[in-house]
Amino acid sequence: MPDLETEVLIIGAGILGAATARELSRYKTDVTVVEKRADVGWGITKANVGVVCQGRDTLEFRPEYHRTRLLWRALPLMEPLCEELEVPFIRVGGWLLIRDQVKKEKLDKLARRTESLGLGSDKYYAYSELRELEPFISPEIKGGLHDPEIAVVHPVYLTQAMMENATANGARLMLETEVTGIEAEHGGFTVRTDQGEIKARYLINAAGEWVDRIAAMLGADDFVLFPIKGQVGVLDRNCSELASSLLAVIPEEPGDMNIVVPTVEGNLLFGIQLQINRRHDRSTTEHMTRLALKNARKLIPDISDKDVINSFCGYLMFRNFEIGWHECEVAMSERVPRFINMTIGYPGVSASPGAALEVVEILQKDGLQMEPDPKFNPHRKDIPDFSKLSDKERAALVKKDPRYGHVVCRCETVTEGEIVEAVKRGATTLDGVKFRVRPGTGRCQGGFCGPRVTRIIARELGIPETEVTKAGRDSTQVPLRTKQLLEKGGRDG
Amino acid sequence: MAKRVDVAVIGAGPAGLAAAIAAREQGAENVLIIERAEQLGGLLPQCIHNGFGLVYFEQDMTGPEYEKAFMDRAVDMGVETQLETMVIDLDEKREITAVSRKHGYMKFRPGAVVLAMGCRERSRGAVGIPGTRPAGVLTAGTCQRFVNIEGYMPGSRYVVLGSGDIGMIMARRLTLEGAKVEAVVEIMPWPGGLIRNEVQCLHDFGIPLLLEHTVSFIHGEERVEGVTVCRVDAQRQPMQGTERLIPCDCLLISAGLIPENELSRRAGVALDPVTGGPVVDQDRQTSVPGIFAGGNVVQVHDLVDWVSREAEVAGRSAAVFADKGRAKRTAGIKVVPGKNVRYVVPQLISGAGDVTLHMRVKEPGLSARLDVGGVLKKKFRSVRPSEMIVLDLEGEALRKSGIKGELVVDCDTKGSG
Ligand SMILES: Cc1cc2nc3c(=O)[nH]c(=O)nc-3n(C[C@H](O)[C@H](O)[C@H](O)COP(=O)(O)OP(=O)(O)OC[C@H]3O[C@@H](n4cnc5c(N)ncnc54)[C@H](O)[C@@H]3O)c2cc1C
Ligand SMILES: Cc1cc2nc3c(=O)[nH]c(=O)nc-3n(C[C@H](O)[C@H](O)[C@H](O)COP(=O)(O)OP(=O)(O)OC[C@H]3O[C@@H](n4cnc5c(N)ncnc54)[C@H](O)[C@@H]3O)c2cc1C
Repeated sequence: MPDLETEVLIIGAGILGAATARELSRYKTDVTVVEKRADVGWGITKANVGVVCQGRDTLEFRPEYHRTRLLWRALPLMEPLCEELEVPFIRVGGWLLIRDQVKKEKLDKLARRTESLGLGSDKYYAYSELRELEPFISPEIKGGLHDPEIAVVHPVYLTQAMMENATANGARLMLETEVTGIEAEHGGFTVRTDQGEIKARYLINAAGEWVDRIAAMLGADDFVLFPIKGQVGVLDRNCSELASSLLAVIPEEPGDMNIVVPTVEGNLLFGIQLQINRRHDRSTTEHMTRLALKNARKLIPDISDKDVINSFCGYLMFRNFEIGWHECEVAMSERVPRFINMTIGYPGVSASPGAALEVVEILQKDGLQMEPDPKFNPHRKDIPDFSKLSDKERAALVKKDPRYGHVVCRCETVTEGEIVEAVKRGATTLDGVKFRVRPGTGRCQGGFCGPRVTRIIARELGIPETEVTKAGRDSTQVPLRTKQLLEKGGRDG
Repeated sequence: MAKRVDVAVIGAGPAGLAAAIAAREQGAENVLIIERAEQLGGLLPQCIHNGFGLVYFEQDMTGPEYEKAFMDRAVDMGVETQLETMVIDLDEKREITAVSRKHGYMKFRPGAVVLAMGCRERSRGAVGIPGTRPAGVLTAGTCQRFVNIEGYMPGSRYVVLGSGDIGMIMARRLTLEGAKVEAVVEIMPWPGGLIRNEVQCLHDFGIPLLLEHTVSFIHGEERVEGVTVCRVDAQRQPMQGTERLIPCDCLLISAGLIPENELSRRAGVALDPVTGGPVVDQDRQTSVPGIFAGGNVVQVHDLVDWVSREAEVAGRSAAVFADKGRAKRTAGIKVVPGKNVRYVVPQLISGAGDVTLHMRVKEPGLSARLDVGGVLKKKFRSVRPSEMIVLDLEGEALRKSGIKGELVVDCDTKGSG
């Protein structure tokens, strides 16, 4: 007996799964999302630099590519989407830079192509003009092409917002539910999870790094994914003046991604150091950190190791070499009907709204009845961000709810009010709170607020502090009470 | 409506309390301490070990005992305190913006301000340890709060990275709690904290101290499962082939403290890149008139007694400034760290009046001879970067020497300590 029946089951609550769930929640269709982690957006989506690229920043965005079509389809949707969901979308603009004059030809070619595709006209600046706008750029940079449209988003915020909006409109989200096996039978699938069985008519495989494994459960693995590990470093907020837009050096060899990017929070990210790797290895390495720093300094010499407050990594999943290094897939499997794979390597964040639309069309074409839901509400209110409010707004908010007057995280000025609201919106862990309202993302990385946030989560969820985890499952923060070890020691001997 | 305040002190640790008391003694009428925590005392309530007050009270006290002496004093003297109130902004005109659950959103424009915000610990990210990102990696101070204040244990088998005082004290504390501390790992050839702590916290409990070692990798998916420890070479880089896996469920990081100067920065206070704290003069005035500073916010002290003394200077000067609306600028002579001296505080002195100099050496050494610009010479059996040197310089001697412009402090040593 299945524990649940649903029309469409989405596996994975990354940015692609969430975008799809939200798009489907416009209809009266019954949608369920299963996610093995304790929160949404914690796969590749978390380990990401958040650039909404414009599809004209490399020559690899060829109009004949599927991923380019998805991206171009998504671009006009992104800003209004962020507005509806009240998540930050900042047009920082971007530079494609060259280190030697020979590469200028490549820039000219890009600029010509951009024009001919009707994507606007990017202007070339020589170093002397460039320096006026980005004064910290290394004098070794010869010049660069400026793309004013480049924007940044916070991929995890966007994923949470889409998922929140989808569930508000009727979609079902099951966290800490891992798909372990799938059987296809007439008219549907039986999906085994560690929380029970789910019957579904359509299956959308948005499992990120594990798309091929899920496909293999059905024998639909007629493709290969190449995991390329990308490591990214985070600089202290105090360095924000070093770059105000995306700085990227035109790749000198394939896979070479030397960039510095401002985040919506005002930190700078640098990287991306790439490496072919076994995909379950999520560790950062000293070697990669050093290489990334060395590269970043070629762009901005003032970056110092002392300013690095964190680093992380994620996997870019690329399809087979034969069909193009950069190709992606959002398509019904050729082997298994009603089974849709979603996988996008680089512009997965940028392309997500386009990919979701494509899934809807595939479902409709396949004959799924999808009646628009007149009650669909596209809007979602963001959690108030105390640190960004004006004096007057702050005073009013504290007056209304004194918990907004209690600053819990000193580095990021996060209040108890925001933390409580994050828990109400679904955060059950320290990372869940951190990725919604930021305590612990600042310079002290939770050293001060960790114990305090733990206490608030325990109180709000009505659980003991010893059960509060960093990121779900066994990742408890303080597994024991004091004296427990002594008592145990006393009994044992 | 903002109340009138003569001196506002930000932070109620030993520095803030001492500064507030001194300001009252100097005659300031309204002295207000603003503190974000739920109690007074800053770091001290969680330091339940002894070793406090040896200089100031000539007594061996625990953190809470030391703190109580100052708290009682402050209350007696009519110092006002506002707890659970966080200062979120300070500008160059000394306008303070603070917020609290109880008192709401507030602004103050005091006659003078004393910065006493203390410091924070370097985190895993700042130290840059590679590996996975499981639960069970935390700083020693955070662990201390969990264990001593909240009553929780982050794990049962520990490796401590860094042999600062907090790390060593926690190694002992956790052992007393029934946990196993596998090793304290230190990248430098010498321990980072006081000798007394090395002896009393590590040797006495048989906890190995691995000098010239570091943690080169963190293992584990959900919880820490172990760390790789290895030797480092002269450049402090991990040496291949010396790696060893130590199973544990917790890694404590005790890799140094950073003065907490976000507010100072906002007010435009000039910071010293070496100490991480404000550049201060003899009166502990910062580069912004009317803003003074004392305690760990200025430099990381190893003994709380010096924190209190330093903050008293700041508190007194702040009261004078609040009264007169300005202070005599005492920026006559620049104190310059010379041979084997990492820094000297205060960075500016007037050339008149007695002054206490605080400094740290770069490298340890035996038979050390300290020379303060020829005005004062002093011998030490040994010097170590982890032990702050405190010297009293007499105003009279300084005046007689006729030194102007710069006062260079050198430290010669024989052999390594
Ligand atoms: C370093 C780096 C930088 C990047 N920068 C950019 C950028 O600037 N702009 C851009 O557009 N793109 C960027 N990308 C690409 C982008 O991050 C990805 O394309 C996108 O996040 C992929 O989203 P996803 O939803 O497919 O995968 P994920 O976010 O990985 O989501 C998949 C989810 O499925 C879950 N799951 C897996 N298996 C199971 C199972 N068996 N049962 C239940 N749940 C399961 C996972 O836990 C996960 O949450 C970058 C990628 C990397 C690595
Ligand atoms: C583990 C440990 C062991 C120690 N052992 C010893 C010992 O044995 N003997 C000894 O002599 N010394 C010891 N010390 C050193 C001594 O405790 C410190 O030097 C001393 O606490 C520093 O005092 P402070 O007032 O400068 O800072 P803190 O004690 O850190 O106080 C700073 C205060 O400012 C508050 N604050 C900061 N920012 C704001 C803001 N924006 N708004 C409001 N409030 C704010 C903080 O909440 C805090 O209460 C030890 C220190 C540690 C960490």
